[in-house]
Amino acid sequence: MSLELVFQQALNGLSFGALLFILASGLSLVFGMMDVVNLAHGAFYMLGAYVALSVVQLTGSFWLAMLAAPLALALVGLVIEPLLLRRLRGRHLDQVLLTIGVSLVIVDVIGQLWGREVRSLSAPPGLDGSVTLIGGVYPVYRLFVIAFGIVLAAAMAVVYRRTKIGMLVRAGVQDAQMLAALGVDTNRLFASTFATGAALAGLAGVIAAPVFGVQPGMDTDPGLLYSLVVVVVGGLGTLSGAVAGSVLIGPADTFGKVLFQDVALAVIFAIVALVLLLKPTGLLGRIRVVR
Amino acid sequence: MRPLARWTLVALAAAALVTFPYWSAPWESTRFATTLLRDGLILAIFALSLDLLVGRAGMPSLGHAAFFGAGAYAAGIAGQRLGTDQLPVTLGAAALVAALLALVIGVLVVRSEGIFFLMLTLALAQIVFAIAFQWTAVTGGSNGLSGVGRPMLATLDLSSPDLMYVLVAIAFVLSAIVVWGLARSPYGRALVGVRENERRMRALGYDTARLRLSAFVLAGTIAGIAGALSAYSTRFVSAQDAGLGNSVRAFVTVLVGGAGTLAGPIAGSALVSLIERVVPSLLPVELRISEAILGLMFIAFVLFARQGMVGLGRSAWLRVRAR
Repeated sequence: MSLELVFQQALNGLSFGALLFILASGLSLVFGMMDVVNLAHGAFYMLGAYVALSVVQLTGSFWLAMLAAPLALALVGLVIEPLLLRRLRGRHLDQVLLTIGVSLVIVDVIGQLWGREVRSLSAPPGLDGSVTLIGGVYPVYRLFVIAFGIVLAAAMAVVYRRTKIGMLVRAGVQDAQMLAALGVDTNRLFASTFATGAALAGLAGVIAAPVFGVQPGMDTDPGLLYSLVVVVVGGLGTLSGAVAGSVLIGPADTFGKVLFQDVALAVIFAIVALVLLLKPTGLLGRIRVVR
Repeated sequence: MRPLARWTLVALAAAALVTFPYWSAPWESTRFATTLLRDGLILAIFALSLDLLVGRAGMPSLGHAAFFGAGAYAAGIAGQRLGTDQLPVTLGAAALVAALLALVIGVLVVRSEGIFFLMLTLALAQIVFAIAFQWTAVTGGSNGLSGVGRPMLATLDLSSPDLMYVLVAIAFVLSAIVVWGLARSPYGRALVGVRENERRMRALGYDTARLRLSAFVLAGTIAGIAGALSAYSTRFVSAQDAGLGNSVRAFVTVLVGGAGTLAGPIAGSALVSLIERVVPSLLPVELRISEAILGLMFIAFVLFARQGMVGLGRSAWLRVRAR
């Protein structure tokens, strides 16, 4: 591999990593607060992409889609949490099973409303060109994705550490029951956490659309599969874990595809296996996934 | 009912099931019911094997399709590469490959529990699926693996609709017997013990990790056989056979039927087959929502009838008897 190619693939890997962060941060947030692995997260991601598709078709504005898709998904989350998950509070495994059902319904409804063909969404004007970087031509949109991921991670860190909402989230992650005893309305807190997680999935759907396309199956690959891999490798329920997992998995996946082509995912399998065997909490997590 | 009478009845039902194509021939000339039943029985074998994990050992696996798919691919590929259609060879290859894959994934996941177990089985199995999907040279990739050989026993060709059905039905009866026997054996009781209170089982001297791993491998092997049967039936392996959709389908089947029972996975596969195969023919062609129906039904069972159809039946029976 030439140096330019290595550099180019490193950028590709980082932009995939940034996207994975946007995707996985929502899954991780919901788990941290509610102890629920939302298996509809991939379906939320897919729905975000399709909503974006329609918004762009109607208004022509990608930026509007970037606003509308997370909002639409937040609404979906605000309906699903009180309607379904709340009924089974405390029964975490059953809550997870509910999200499987939700995922089946959403994916079929998407297929029914938008059709089951492969669609595409182009990058917004201004970001659809390319620049020359260290001897190679590079699409601007991917640089935008990297920047967006970094800004989002920084913003989330600030909210987490410096604001009252962040304080509530940190307290909820520590001990939601205690928080309820102290008079915090955990119903509202859980509903808004779930809605935020869904909105992040929707946002990831919009941002990924110009790079990965909009198609059936995207709910599992990359959607659910990669977000699970990122949180298992990075560590469940922490922001730093989601960052670490994405920064590792993005480039590993990209270079795996260059070096091993067809069997690239064996690299991801090996990473997950190593982490499970050597560091069961994930790189920066607190919760042991295996004993 | 007396044990002897009960056994006679079960044996008669099994015989009736296995010989279905022969006594149904007068009114079943299109073979629609035979095919439907064949595929339903394959799903039932698959679901029975998953229930060993979900219902008995308390290991909620969402990656079981990896082993179904491994068995299907192994049966097809072994037949083509070894140049033989002999059932013992291709079915043996299916069981072996599925068992080995279950061992590799099992070693990584058996020490985790509950949500974590579910998440890890999903992720690892899905990676296996993605490899199968992309490794076109070996598996045919997204086109699937076509040209799976006929199942042959010496010179007897089992690929006709009737004989294929009989093969599947016999495999189903045997799997049901195995699962039933396991559940009543000391081994099966120990698995339930691990589900209910693992620390206590360990204190009693059981190697719980090994118990869980052996259950995982056993269930994976049976799923692999179900996969091979599916490959013989359609003479084709789709990459989707190994995918999350198929894992979810098995899980829904077990839970809707009733986990931890023998009748549950069987009843579940009947219901799921009907929703997948019969309901679409009742709806307008442009409405393809059988997955959504499965999803809604699953949500309803998780919320209101966690014990599944068998649990519903049982409580209805108790209520009738209490009157």
